[in-house]
Amino acid sequence: MIEEKVKIINNAGLHTRPAATIVKIAAKYKSDFFINKDGMEINGKSIIGVMTLAAAKGSALSLRFDGEDEEEQSKEILDYFKRGFDEL
Amino acid sequence: MKIKDNILKRDSITVEYFYTHTRDRFKVKLLTKPHGFDRIIADQNLHRPGLALAGFVELFSFSRVQIFGNTEIRYLNNLKVKDRITSLKRLFEFEIPCIVITDGNKPVEELLDLANEYQVSVFGTEYSTTKAVYFLSDFLDDQFAPRISLHGSFVDVYGVGMLFTGKSGIGKSEVALDLVERGHRLVADDLVILTKKGEGILMGSGTDLVKHFMEIRGIGIIDIKSMFGVRAIRFQKRLEVVLDLEIWNDNSNYTRTGLDGSTRNILDVEIPCVKVPIVPGKNITVISEVIALNYLLQHYNYDAAKVFQDKLNQRILEKSKDIDRAIDYFEHDFE
Repeated sequence: MIEEKVKIINNAGLHTRPAATIVKIAAKYKSDFFINKDGMEINGKSIIGVMTLAAAKGSALSLRFDGEDEEEQSKEILDYFKRGFDEL
Repeated sequence: MKIKDNILKRDSITVEYFYTHTRDRFKVKLLTKPHGFDRIIADQNLHRPGLALAGFVELFSFSRVQIFGNTEIRYLNNLKVKDRITSLKRLFEFEIPCIVITDGNKPVEELLDLANEYQVSVFGTEYSTTKAVYFLSDFLDDQFAPRISLHGSFVDVYGVGMLFTGKSGIGKSEVALDLVERGHRLVADDLVILTKKGEGILMGSGTDLVKHFMEIRGIGIIDIKSMFGVRAIRFQKRLEVVLDLEIWNDNSNYTRTGLDGSTRNILDVEIPCVKVPIVPGKNITVISEVIALNYLLQHYNYDAAKVFQDKLNQRILEKSKDIDRAIDYFEHDFE
């Protein structure tokens, strides 16, 4: 299991487009992926779940990857967060 | 199976939150200026400070909402002005969150003066003390109740609250949609918040943002309320059965008689749990309906598995050799 903390750095926050991309990336892998914000944990493979977070710029999220291909999954998703969802 | 992580529990609410949420619901009125709205209520219990007013402040639960009922008000009215002030000051010396006066009682002037001085809000309600205590306790209990968020779909099937769980992409939302089509009511899809009410009761609802939106793979996001109307939704429902969907697994043990009664522990409440394997040609919607009806039958004290077992035991006792037909003589019935 891998746990990582990330911050939302783009201005628009975690809106529909990045949410959809995150879900798409996560679903490519077999491992489970969860996002936790302020104690509420959601399944990162579900678009409604990810959008429920309504994470604005500056929000701190903790990500949890669990499964056989967690390494690759975490790498790709973390990279996407660090790129500010390609909106920087 | 036990789910432990992910528990959301509120430690405190502010007086402002308390007021805005009880104002309309329980006809709570503000009698002073809005003082100390950032004071913290960290206890779900209420307190009637009769003894504290009389001078006994050991074990005074000052951190709770203070209720002034008929007794407290009558007691204060019977005191001389000087004693009244001493008595009230004793109370205000503590960091009390706020005061609620019940039964439409008029607050004594000194109480309001001191509340203004010590920056404590005083509220009033028309409800009798018993009723107000009941309403406010229920409200505070709910605010401080342990909550958990789960990934799954929650549907009211024939009045039975059913939670569908299982891996992402297994078809929980599709089953929920199918059930809605057949006239059942959706409570929440994807993210279900379960709140513990009292002992042994879990209430489920969706989140404020998502409510009755749903994602169906291949279509996208749909809104059940505008699509199927108000009959297809409900806001909350008690959780009664968990349906765990999984791809058929040869090593997994699926119940054949229904006598084993496995449960799932959520927030220390044991909820009956049925593991449903998904195989081609299996209609999960109909199976869910049957599980709901079976659950209802059990509630009315009819357990099909047990009835069958009793019949079998009876037959074994009788040591009957033949396998009899269901009836023993066809009366000219050639249908």
